[in-house]
Amino acid sequence: MPTLLGKRFECEVCGTEVLCTKPGGGTVHCCGKEMRLKEPKPLPSAD
Amino acid sequence: MNLMELLEIPASLFPEREILRFQGRGVTYGELQERVAKTAGALRTLGVQTGDRLAILQTNTPAVVELLYAAASLGVVFVPLNFRASREELSSMLARVEPTVVLVGDRYRSTAAELRASTLGAPVFITLDSTTGPGIAGGPQRAEMPSLGILVDQAEPAARADIDDNSLAAVLFTSGTTAGPKGVMLAHAGLTSFVLESAELCDGADRGAVLVAAPLHHVAGLTAVLAATFAGRRIVLMEQFEAEGWLRLVATEGITHVFLVPTMLKRVLDHPTFAETDLSGLQVLSYGAAPMPLAVIRRAIAALPRSVHLISAFGQTETASTVAVLGPEDHRLEGTPDDVQRHLRRLASIGRPIPDVELRILDDDGTSLPPGKVGEIAIRADRLMRGYYQQDEATQETLRDGWLRTRDLAWVDEDGYIYLAGRKGDLIIHGGENIAPAEVETVLESHPAVEEAGVFGIPDEEWGERVAAVVVPRPGAEIHPDALIDFCRQRLAGFKRPEVVFVADPSSDGLPRNTLGKLLRGELRARYAT
Repeated sequence: MPTLLGKRFECEVCGTEVLCTKPGGGTVHCCGKEMRLKEPKPLPSAD
Repeated sequence: MNLMELLEIPASLFPEREILRFQGRGVTYGELQERVAKTAGALRTLGVQTGDRLAILQTNTPAVVELLYAAASLGVVFVPLNFRASREELSSMLARVEPTVVLVGDRYRSTAAELRASTLGAPVFITLDSTTGPGIAGGPQRAEMPSLGILVDQAEPAARADIDDNSLAAVLFTSGTTAGPKGVMLAHAGLTSFVLESAELCDGADRGAVLVAAPLHHVAGLTAVLAATFAGRRIVLMEQFEAEGWLRLVATEGITHVFLVPTMLKRVLDHPTFAETDLSGLQVLSYGAAPMPLAVIRRAIAALPRSVHLISAFGQTETASTVAVLGPEDHRLEGTPDDVQRHLRRLASIGRPIPDVELRILDDDGTSLPPGKVGEIAIRADRLMRGYYQQDEATQETLRDGWLRTRDLAWVDEDGYIYLAGRKGDLIIHGGENIAPAEVETVLESHPAVEEAGVFGIPDEEWGERVAAVVVPRPGAEIHPDALIDFCRQRLAGFKRPEVVFVADPSSDGLPRNTLGKLLRGELRARYAT
């Protein structure tokens, strides 16, 4: 999955998280695997 | 992650974007970041070191937001004090946290003078508003009280300190309903985890505007600012809530998101300008911090534009904000009569747990209870408080095996909706039967003549405790205690019905509540049980 501004990615192996602050066409990998997109669950009360 | 990064990251992406607005003036991310760096520099010149505490006594102003991020940047603990607290309470809070510096708004200068005279450890007191530092006129110590504004203007920006994510970011004093205030310790990791789990980083898209009327010393105000900073939702700060100004800001500042405590919502609905105010831009109105009276939320559903999503948000300072939500779909009183009845019933609930928390209902032995049984709400989540500041005993009572015991009693229905049943210490024990005051209050408040009700136990030789109630009549209504007791007998188990009903003077200010609208049952008991 290409990296998109503001998206978070999580390594399913070691738990590392990456926040994309400059988008590009590549994909992010950790522990030899493509990192999984982590979607926030909006809480209207909080934001 | 440091709280400061919630500002740094979007500011590096969109420095020209307006993020904070106060009294008609806006500042961009870039301007805010620069001001925060200089504020951090000014704090360094005052001798503030990483790990120190920084206390603030001020209403919602941009300076408080700057101090929040400046403190985070330096690894200093942000301690916003409740500006409605009594001098004795403030004094005990300061004695507990021993701040290096106390920053006070102009309106609290005389309070500061008294606090300075009585505070041990001699923190530096700095004024937040004045551009000059004339000292404290008439104070017991006439020494100069310098102005932060002048220090910031003269300061060099300070770089962000490298601190551990588990370091304390803030100590928030809780508004206790029974004991005195306790300082809830919240770490950078917990607060940033809450923001990342619930908000998406600013990507340049329009995210609307949030009106922050909850004070920044309250977890709802604090987390609203943190999440909106990260998400790029324009923050419109309201110095102190009052209904007319709130309605005007919503209409004129393009406000899309608001949070209100129940007493605030009632004042908004009651205000003469409510009907003529354009609220069409409002998308989300969330409420919480105290139980919402059914009558008030029903009025809100009927009176607000249909496009407004109403959301009940239940949480505690100790859980770094929301843990359960009753969503907009449960606020729609539409559909078949069964649907309407189901939604009406659910309006009395606090909804269901949100994804990043685990919630259980426990009995006194710590065993999970099945649906329908009343027990204590316990929460497990990454963002739980680290404990109460220098109150190890209270911490050990509250945080057990990784679970936070909330002291809130509740039961869960078959669909997973949670219903509050009062506070643990408020439970009335009548002949061995446990009675949750909130359950009796709900029945009393469903009577057409009752505006509000408070229920508590009075000592009784035979039964241990008897159920007593204080009711405030609706304007023009008359209440006959015997008839009201009969009304309860038809709707509650016999042992739960009040045996004594006091009718309060309808011209009084209503029942005693703390600043967030939570009923002070201890005060009711003291006033009526003797």
